[in-house]
Amino acid sequence: MSVASALSQLANYRVHNTRASQRTFEKGYQILQKNAHKNLGDDSWAFLEQLALASIDIGRLDVADDCLQLLSDKFPGSPRVECLTGIRLEAASPPETALKYYSELLEADSANATAWKRKISVLRRTGKVEKAVGELCAFLDTFYTDVEGWLELADLYAECCQYTPSLQALSHALLLAPQNPFYALQFAETAYTANDLPLALKTFLVVVDMSDGDESGVTLAESTPLGITVRAWFGVKLCTRRLLAPSTLQPSSESGTPPPTPTHLALLDELATERLRVAYSSSAGVKGEIARGREEVFAWVA
Amino acid sequence: MSSSSAVSLYLDPQIRDWVLFPITLVMILVGVLRHYVVVLLQATPKKLSRAAIREQRALTRCQILRATSANSPIPPSFYKAISQNLSEALKAGTYLKDGPPKADAPPTTPNPLSDPAAMDGMMAGMKTQMVMMVPQMVIMGWINFFFQGFVLIKLPFPLTLGFKSMLQRGIETPDMDVRWVSSLSWYFLNFFGLNGLYRLILGGDNSADSSRDMTVSPFASMGTAQPGQPQDFTKLYKAERDNLEFAEGLYSWVGQDVDMKVLRKYGKLPPNSKQ
Repeated sequence: MSVASALSQLANYRVHNTRASQRTFEKGYQILQKNAHKNLGDDSWAFLEQLALASIDIGRLDVADDCLQLLSDKFPGSPRVECLTGIRLEAASPPETALKYYSELLEADSANATAWKRKISVLRRTGKVEKAVGELCAFLDTFYTDVEGWLELADLYAECCQYTPSLQALSHALLLAPQNPFYALQFAETAYTANDLPLALKTFLVVVDMSDGDESGVTLAESTPLGITVRAWFGVKLCTRRLLAPSTLQPSSESGTPPPTPTHLALLDELATERLRVAYSSSAGVKGEIARGREEVFAWVA
Repeated sequence: MSSSSAVSLYLDPQIRDWVLFPITLVMILVGVLRHYVVVLLQATPKKLSRAAIREQRALTRCQILRATSANSPIPPSFYKAISQNLSEALKAGTYLKDGPPKADAPPTTPNPLSDPAAMDGMMAGMKTQMVMMVPQMVIMGWINFFFQGFVLIKLPFPLTLGFKSMLQRGIETPDMDVRWVSSLSWYFLNFFGLNGLYRLILGGDNSADSSRDMTVSPFASMGTAQPGQPQDFTKLYKAERDNLEFAEGLYSWVGQDVDMKVLRKYGKLPPNSKQ
């Protein structure tokens, strides 16, 4: 592979934030050995950072050290390089050393967001969940707009079966990215797990409402649900089935969401069944071919 | 530089070579020099402490919450909790950099002259101003001293009499054709007109154009745009609390009637039916 095409591929990875460490390393190492990065201009530093991360990922620490050396010669005291050094430290040293390193960085500049996030991830990795949650809360209190941070917090809570705090963290992520159906789906699934069925049902329906009808020219009733919509319909079906089940107990909702009326529930149940049958009657794209798992789904929804 | 036969005014080519071109060249070079001096003088932006960032961004949280409140993605109980928490925190001043204010402390307005951070901002403005003022004053003095009353060029198009004061500054001749441009006027034309050239040479956000700075004094820009200026967050927070209450009145959950909406969308319910 020529150097030029390798470079353009790597630039493409950088733009799209693709991790693909092995491929990045193969291409990047070849460029580094030919010294071709020198005539990249300002892009060469971004390239070195990318290669350093990739080689840490696949365990070629010697290459990572070379890149780091070049970077720290060019930018002494840069927070970005310092953070990369920290990641290199995490790869080989015990986590305590890395923690200590990040704490020193934070002492020098208390608002160093990257170092703070790395510190939280090390804390989580070493099993100090309580401490990680505390730090993450403090972090999000300062840097409210960090969606990844909120998702991480929701994940941490859900891992400890703390579904209500998890929902709260997710609601912040939803506020920050209200157009993202995947966060809404996660919210709905967390609500379902927390046994808040009316809330889960409504949020699943919000996801359906957000993500269906991408195909133009086909009426909704005739279109085939795809991707995330199918998963949301499964969620709707699960909720309606449990809400319709004869039970002496009223469905509990911690959030105080009222469930739909029984007539509507029945209609929704019917609709979800129909949608799922449509989704599994033919496999995506190929007409006439029977989708995998058709039998099971048909048996389940019946 | 000869004129048409009707006008009996001839310019010595020496004026072109030794006055017109040098003035233009000096102005361009001073602009370029100024750009690099300003780049050198620019102080690196000061790092904010954790508490200061938190103080600044507290308002952003409220704005994010309010932005979607008419069609909020989160259910009522969650919205209320967040909104009321924020309101309480703003009231108590939890987000203030120096912690909640004391009850009996007198309200102090930040004095920009006593705050070192504000002084820095002011000094930076002054420095840029000096870099602008000094060379322009020198050039103007130079032109006034050596080339006072010179006629430099003749514009190739006719103009009305209104342009006389603009184009013939420094020459008191009521009868001369407006198309002749005096040395001082040439200086001003360059002063205001070279920005396009600088943009070509130095790129978009250069600081070579000095006419831009004429309008702002270093003291005028203080209170408004410059980052790091003291703001009275207590007052901003108070206004934000009213906004939050207002947004809570507007609030509706996007999932409120979503079941009906989806059923209608798929034709299970007739459109616009109530039940």
